[in-house]
Amino acid sequence: MDNKDFKTVSIPTTLYKKIEEQIEGTEFSSVEDYIIFVLEEILKEDEDSESALSPEEEELVKERLKGLGYL
Amino acid sequence: MLVVGIDGATWKVIDSNLHDLPTFAKLKKEAKCSTITLAQKPWSPSVWCSMFSGKTPEEHGHKDFVQNGRLVRREDIPVQFIWDILHAVGIPVKVLNVPFVIPPYCFNIRFEPVAQGLPIEEHELLEEIQTVTSEALEVLSSNKPELFIVVYTALDRLSHLHWGEPILIDYYKKIDAALGQLLEHDEEFIVISDHGFCSYDEAPIRTLPKRTPKGEIKGDHHPEAILITKNINFSIDQPEDVFYCLKKRFLGL
Repeated sequence: MDNKDFKTVSIPTTLYKKIEEQIEGTEFSSVEDYIIFVLEEILKEDEDSESALSPEEEELVKERLKGLGYL
Repeated sequence: MLVVGIDGATWKVIDSNLHDLPTFAKLKKEAKCSTITLAQKPWSPSVWCSMFSGKTPEEHGHKDFVQNGRLVRREDIPVQFIWDILHAVGIPVKVLNVPFVIPPYCFNIRFEPVAQGLPIEEHELLEEIQTVTSEALEVLSSNKPELFIVVYTALDRLSHLHWGEPILIDYYKKIDAALGQLLEHDEEFIVISDHGFCSYDEAPIRTLPKRTPKGEIKGDHHPEAILITKNINFSIDQPEDVFYCLKKRFLGL
Protein backbone atom coordinates (compact mmCIF):
# COMPACT_ATOMS: atom_id res chain seq x y z
CA MET A 1 0.00 0.00 0.00
CA ASP A 2 1.29 3.45 -0.85
CA ASN A 3 1.74 5.36 2.42
CA LYS A 4 0.86 8.58 0.64
CA ASP A 5 -2.70 7.40 0.03
CA PHE A 6 -5.20 8.80 2.50
CA LYS A 7 -8.82 8.00 3.31
CA THR A 8 -11.33 10.27 4.99
CA VAL A 9 -12.92 9.22 8.27
CA SER A 10 -15.38 11.20 10.36
CA ILE A 11 -15.21 11.90 14.06
CA PRO A 12 -17.68 13.80 16.27
CA THR A 13 -17.22 17.59 16.28
CA THR A 14 -16.98 17.60 20.08
CA LEU A 15 -14.07 15.14 19.94
CA TYR A 16 -12.38 17.19 17.22
CA LYS A 17 -12.61 20.29 19.40
CA LYS A 18 -11.21 18.43 22.42
CA ILE A 19 -8.23 17.31 20.35
CA GLU A 20 -7.69 20.88 19.11
CA GLU A 21 -7.48 22.00 22.74
CA GLN A 22 -5.24 19.05 23.62
CA ILE A 23 -2.65 19.81 20.95
CA GLU A 24 -2.54 23.56 21.47
CA GLY A 25 1.05 24.58 22.16
CA THR A 26 2.42 21.11 21.30
CA GLU A 27 4.44 20.02 18.29
CA PHE A 28 1.37 18.52 16.62
CA SER A 29 0.49 20.91 13.83
CA SER A 30 -3.00 19.55 13.16
CA VAL A 31 -5.71 17.31 14.56
CA GLU A 32 -5.02 14.87 11.73
CA ASP A 33 -1.35 14.56 12.72
CA TYR A 34 -2.33 13.83 16.30
CA ILE A 35 -4.94 11.21 15.39
CA ILE A 36 -2.54 9.42 13.04
CA PHE A 37 0.15 9.40 15.75
CA VAL A 38 -2.19 7.99 18.41
CA LEU A 39 -3.58 5.30 16.12
CA GLU A 40 -0.11 4.26 14.99
CA GLU A 41 0.94 3.89 18.63
CA ILE A 42 -2.11 1.76 19.46
CA LEU A 43 -1.57 -0.46 16.43
CA LYS A 44 2.08 -0.94 17.39
CA GLU A 45 1.20 -2.16 20.88
CA ASP A 46 0.73 -5.78 19.81
CA GLU A 47 4.09 -5.78 18.07
CA ASP A 48 5.74 -4.13 21.08
CA SER A 49 4.33 -6.69 23.48
CA GLU A 50 5.69 -9.46 21.26
CA SER A 51 9.17 -7.96 21.47
CA ALA A 52 9.03 -7.20 25.21
CA LEU A 53 11.73 -8.88 27.27
CA SER A 54 10.91 -11.57 29.80
CA PRO A 55 11.90 -10.87 33.44
CA GLU A 56 14.88 -13.22 32.98
CA GLU A 57 16.00 -11.44 29.81
CA GLU A 58 15.60 -8.07 31.53
CA GLU A 59 17.85 -9.23 34.37
CA LEU A 60 20.49 -10.35 31.86
CA VAL A 61 20.33 -6.95 30.20
CA LYS A 62 20.82 -5.25 33.56
CA GLU A 63 23.85 -7.46 34.23
CA ARG A 64 25.36 -6.37 30.92
CA LEU A 65 24.61 -2.71 31.68
CA LYS A 66 26.38 -3.15 35.03
CA GLY A 67 29.32 -4.83 33.29
CA LEU A 68 29.72 -1.82 31.00
CA GLY A 69 29.26 0.67 33.85
CA TYR A 70 25.94 2.00 32.57
CA LEU A 71 24.13 0.85 35.74
CA MET B 1 18.99 10.11 2.63
CA LEU B 2 21.11 8.10 5.02
CA VAL B 3 22.05 8.69 8.67
CA VAL B 4 24.68 6.37 10.10
CA GLY B 5 25.27 6.54 13.85
CA ILE B 6 28.46 5.12 15.33
CA ASP B 7 28.09 4.98 19.10
CA GLY B 8 31.22 6.23 20.85
CA ALA B 9 33.26 6.97 17.70
CA THR B 10 36.00 9.54 18.20
CA TRP B 11 38.36 11.47 15.95
CA LYS B 12 41.14 10.60 18.42
CA VAL B 13 41.22 7.05 17.07
CA ILE B 14 40.16 7.80 13.51
CA ASP B 15 42.70 10.56 12.85
CA SER B 16 45.63 8.60 14.23
CA ASN B 17 44.74 5.50 12.19
CA LEU B 18 43.62 7.01 8.87
CA HIS B 19 46.14 4.89 6.95
CA ASP B 20 44.16 1.80 8.04
CA LEU B 21 40.70 3.36 7.62
CA PRO B 22 40.16 3.95 3.89
CA THR B 23 36.53 5.01 4.15
CA PHE B 24 37.22 7.64 6.80
CA ALA B 25 40.30 8.76 4.84
CA LYS B 26 38.13 9.23 1.75
CA LEU B 27 35.48 11.07 3.75
CA LYS B 28 38.12 13.39 5.15
CA LYS B 29 38.84 14.46 1.57
CA GLU B 30 35.38 14.37 0.01
CA ALA B 31 32.93 15.18 2.80
CA LYS B 32 32.58 17.81 5.50
CA CYS B 33 34.12 16.63 8.75
CA SER B 34 33.78 18.36 12.10
CA THR B 35 33.44 17.88 15.85
CA ILE B 36 30.30 18.32 17.92
CA THR B 37 31.14 19.50 21.44
CA LEU B 38 28.16 18.34 23.45
CA ALA B 39 26.35 20.86 25.62
CA GLN B 40 24.72 17.92 27.40
CA LYS B 41 26.30 15.04 29.34
CA PRO B 42 27.94 12.50 26.98
CA TRP B 43 25.50 9.74 27.85
CA SER B 44 24.09 7.56 25.08
CA PRO B 45 20.38 7.23 26.02
CA SER B 46 19.80 10.96 26.33
CA VAL B 47 22.00 12.00 23.38
CA TRP B 48 20.44 9.60 20.87
CA CYS B 49 17.02 10.63 22.15
CA SER B 50 17.87 14.31 21.65
CA MET B 51 19.28 13.65 18.19
CA PHE B 52 16.07 12.23 16.80
CA SER B 53 13.47 14.12 18.87
CA GLY B 54 15.00 17.61 18.74
CA LYS B 55 14.59 17.88 22.51
CA THR B 56 17.20 18.61 25.16
CA PRO B 57 17.47 16.11 28.06
CA GLU B 58 15.47 18.52 30.21
CA GLU B 59 12.71 18.52 27.60
CA HIS B 60 12.53 14.79 26.78
CA GLY B 61 13.31 13.65 30.34
CA HIS B 62 15.02 10.42 29.16
CA LYS B 63 18.11 10.26 31.33
CA ASP B 64 19.00 6.57 31.53
CA PHE B 65 18.45 3.07 30.15
CA VAL B 66 17.01 2.00 33.51
CA GLN B 67 14.78 4.19 35.63
CA ASN B 68 13.05 3.19 38.85
CA GLY B 69 14.48 -0.31 38.53
CA ARG B 70 13.04 -1.09 35.10
CA LEU B 71 14.21 -0.77 31.54
CA VAL B 72 12.81 2.34 29.88
CA ARG B 73 10.83 1.61 26.71
CA ARG B 74 10.09 3.85 23.75
CA GLU B 75 6.52 4.41 24.91
CA ASP B 76 7.78 5.75 28.26
CA ILE B 77 9.33 8.72 26.44
CA PRO B 78 6.66 11.33 25.57
CA VAL B 79 8.13 12.69 22.35
CA GLN B 80 7.58 12.39 18.63
CA PHE B 81 10.72 11.20 16.92
CA ILE B 82 11.52 12.30 13.40
CA TRP B 83 10.41 8.91 12.07
CA ASP B 84 6.99 9.26 13.76
CA ILE B 85 6.50 12.66 12.14
CA LEU B 86 7.64 11.63 8.66
CA HIS B 87 5.73 8.36 8.71
CA ALA B 88 2.54 10.17 9.73
CA VAL B 89 2.64 12.25 6.57
CA GLY B 90 3.45 9.31 4.32
CA ILE B 91 7.19 9.70 3.87
CA PRO B 92 8.85 6.25 3.81
CA VAL B 93 11.29 5.96 6.71
CA LYS B 94 13.11 3.03 8.31
CA VAL B 95 15.13 2.93 11.49
CA LEU B 96 17.57 0.22 12.58
CA ASN B 97 19.16 -0.32 15.99
CA VAL B 98 19.04 3.15 17.58
CA PRO B 99 20.26 2.68 21.18
CA PHE B 100 18.37 5.34 23.11
CA VAL B 101 16.67 2.35 24.78
CA ILE B 102 17.73 -1.26 25.32
CA PRO B 103 17.13 -3.28 23.21
CA PRO B 104 17.90 -0.67 20.55
CA TYR B 105 14.90 0.73 18.70
CA CYS B 106 13.75 -0.15 15.20
CA PHE B 107 10.97 1.42 13.14
CA ASN B 108 9.39 -0.29 10.12
CA ILE B 109 12.04 -3.02 10.39
CA ARG B 110 11.91 -6.31 12.28
CA PHE B 111 15.37 -6.93 13.70
CA GLU B 112 16.73 -8.85 16.67
CA PRO B 113 19.72 -6.95 18.08
CA VAL B 114 22.73 -9.06 19.05
CA ALA B 115 22.91 -9.50 22.85
CA GLN B 116 19.93 -7.13 23.17
CA GLY B 117 22.11 -4.32 21.82
CA LEU B 118 24.80 -4.81 24.46
CA PRO B 119 27.46 -6.92 22.73
CA ILE B 120 30.49 -7.37 24.99
CA GLU B 121 32.25 -10.58 23.97
CA GLU B 122 34.27 -10.46 20.77
CA HIS B 123 32.03 -12.83 18.85
CA GLU B 124 29.04 -10.67 19.80
CA LEU B 125 30.75 -7.47 18.69
CA LEU B 126 31.63 -9.05 15.37
CA GLU B 127 28.13 -10.43 14.96
CA GLU B 128 26.58 -7.03 15.63
CA ILE B 129 28.58 -5.35 12.90
CA GLN B 130 27.82 -8.19 10.49
CA THR B 131 24.06 -8.38 11.18
CA VAL B 132 23.47 -4.62 11.26
CA THR B 133 25.42 -4.22 8.01
CA SER B 134 23.61 -7.10 6.37
CA GLU B 135 20.18 -5.76 7.35
CA ALA B 136 21.13 -2.22 6.34
CA LEU B 137 22.37 -3.35 2.93
CA GLU B 138 19.14 -5.27 2.41
CA VAL B 139 17.15 -2.10 3.14
CA LEU B 140 19.35 0.06 0.93
CA SER B 141 19.54 -2.28 -2.01
CA SER B 142 16.05 -3.68 -2.27
CA ASN B 143 13.61 -1.53 -0.35
CA LYS B 144 15.23 1.84 0.17
CA PRO B 145 13.09 4.39 2.02
CA GLU B 146 13.48 8.15 1.62
CA LEU B 147 15.17 8.27 5.03
CA PHE B 148 17.14 5.42 6.57
CA ILE B 149 18.73 5.69 10.02
CA VAL B 150 21.09 2.97 11.27
CA VAL B 151 23.34 2.82 14.34
CA TYR B 152 26.28 0.59 15.32
CA THR B 153 26.96 0.13 19.06
CA ALA B 154 30.07 -2.08 18.98
CA LEU B 155 32.74 0.63 19.27
CA ASP B 156 31.16 2.07 22.40
CA ARG B 157 30.89 -1.30 24.15
CA LEU B 158 34.47 -2.16 23.22
CA SER B 159 35.83 1.25 24.28
CA HIS B 160 34.46 0.83 27.80
CA LEU B 161 36.54 -2.24 28.53
CA HIS B 162 39.33 -2.14 25.93
CA TRP B 163 40.26 1.52 25.37
CA GLY B 164 43.90 1.79 24.31
CA GLU B 165 44.15 -1.85 23.23
CA PRO B 166 44.93 -2.97 19.64
CA ILE B 167 41.58 -4.76 19.40
CA LEU B 168 39.82 -1.39 19.36
CA ILE B 169 41.66 -0.43 16.16
CA ASP B 170 40.66 -3.75 14.62
CA TYR B 171 37.00 -2.88 15.22
CA TYR B 172 37.37 0.65 13.87
CA LYS B 173 38.63 -1.08 10.70
CA LYS B 174 35.52 -3.29 10.62
CA ILE B 175 33.26 -0.26 11.08
CA ASP B 176 35.21 1.58 8.39
CA ALA B 177 34.60 -1.29 5.95
CA ALA B 178 30.89 -1.48 6.85
CA LEU B 179 30.49 2.28 6.49
CA GLY B 180 32.10 2.15 3.06
CA GLN B 181 29.51 -0.37 1.91
CA LEU B 182 26.57 1.65 3.23
CA LEU B 183 27.69 4.99 1.83
CA GLU B 184 27.90 3.54 -1.68
CA HIS B 185 24.11 3.68 -1.66
CA ASP B 186 23.60 7.39 -1.01
CA GLU B 187 25.23 10.69 -1.87
CA GLU B 188 23.34 12.58 0.83
CA PHE B 189 24.31 11.46 4.30
CA ILE B 190 25.15 12.22 7.92
CA VAL B 191 27.63 10.06 9.85
CA ILE B 192 27.61 10.92 13.53
CA SER B 193 28.52 9.66 16.99
CA ASP B 194 26.62 10.38 20.19
CA HIS B 195 29.85 11.18 22.07
CA GLY B 196 33.55 10.53 21.81
CA PHE B 197 35.80 8.45 24.05
CA CYS B 198 39.05 8.88 25.92
CA SER B 199 41.14 7.03 28.48
CA TYR B 200 39.38 6.75 31.82
CA ASP B 201 41.75 9.06 33.66
CA GLU B 202 41.58 11.79 31.02
CA ALA B 203 37.78 12.11 30.95
CA PRO B 204 36.72 15.73 31.52
CA ILE B 205 33.34 14.45 32.72
CA ARG B 206 33.23 11.26 34.78
CA THR B 207 30.31 9.11 33.55
CA LEU B 208 31.41 5.55 34.42
CA PRO B 209 32.65 3.72 37.54
CA LYS B 210 36.29 2.56 37.66
CA ARG B 211 35.40 -1.07 38.11
CA THR B 212 32.42 -3.22 37.11
CA PRO B 213 31.66 -6.95 37.41
CA LYS B 214 33.30 -7.32 33.96
CA GLY B 215 36.56 -5.78 35.16
CA GLU B 216 38.32 -2.45 34.95
CA ILE B 217 36.78 0.31 32.87
CA LYS B 218 39.54 1.54 30.54
CA GLY B 219 37.75 4.36 28.73
CA ASP B 220 35.11 6.93 29.50
CA HIS B 221 32.74 8.99 27.39
CA HIS B 222 34.08 12.28 26.03
CA PRO B 223 31.93 15.27 25.04
CA GLU B 224 33.48 15.56 21.56
CA ALA B 225 31.50 13.57 19.00
CA ILE B 226 32.26 13.10 15.32
CA LEU B 227 30.20 14.58 12.50
CA ILE B 228 30.60 13.88 8.78
CA THR B 229 28.13 15.22 6.24
CA LYS B 230 27.78 15.18 2.49
CA ASN B 231 25.25 17.27 0.57
CA ILE B 232 23.66 18.44 3.83
CA ASN B 233 22.84 22.14 3.76
CA PHE B 234 22.15 22.63 7.45
CA SER B 235 24.32 23.61 10.39
CA ILE B 236 24.57 20.82 12.97
CA ASP B 237 26.12 22.07 16.20
CA GLN B 238 24.35 19.82 18.72
CA PRO B 239 22.62 16.42 18.49
CA GLU B 240 19.16 18.08 18.47
CA ASP B 241 20.08 19.83 15.22
CA VAL B 242 19.97 16.48 13.39
CA PHE B 243 16.21 16.36 14.06
CA TYR B 244 15.74 19.89 12.72
CA CYS B 245 17.97 19.13 9.74
CA LEU B 246 15.83 16.13 8.81
CA LYS B 247 12.59 18.00 9.44
CA LYS B 248 13.74 20.83 7.17
CA ARG B 249 14.93 18.40 4.50
CA PHE B 250 11.72 16.40 4.32
CA LEU B 251 9.03 18.85 5.44
CA GLY B 252 10.62 22.18 4.61
CA LEU B 253 9.92 23.32 8.20
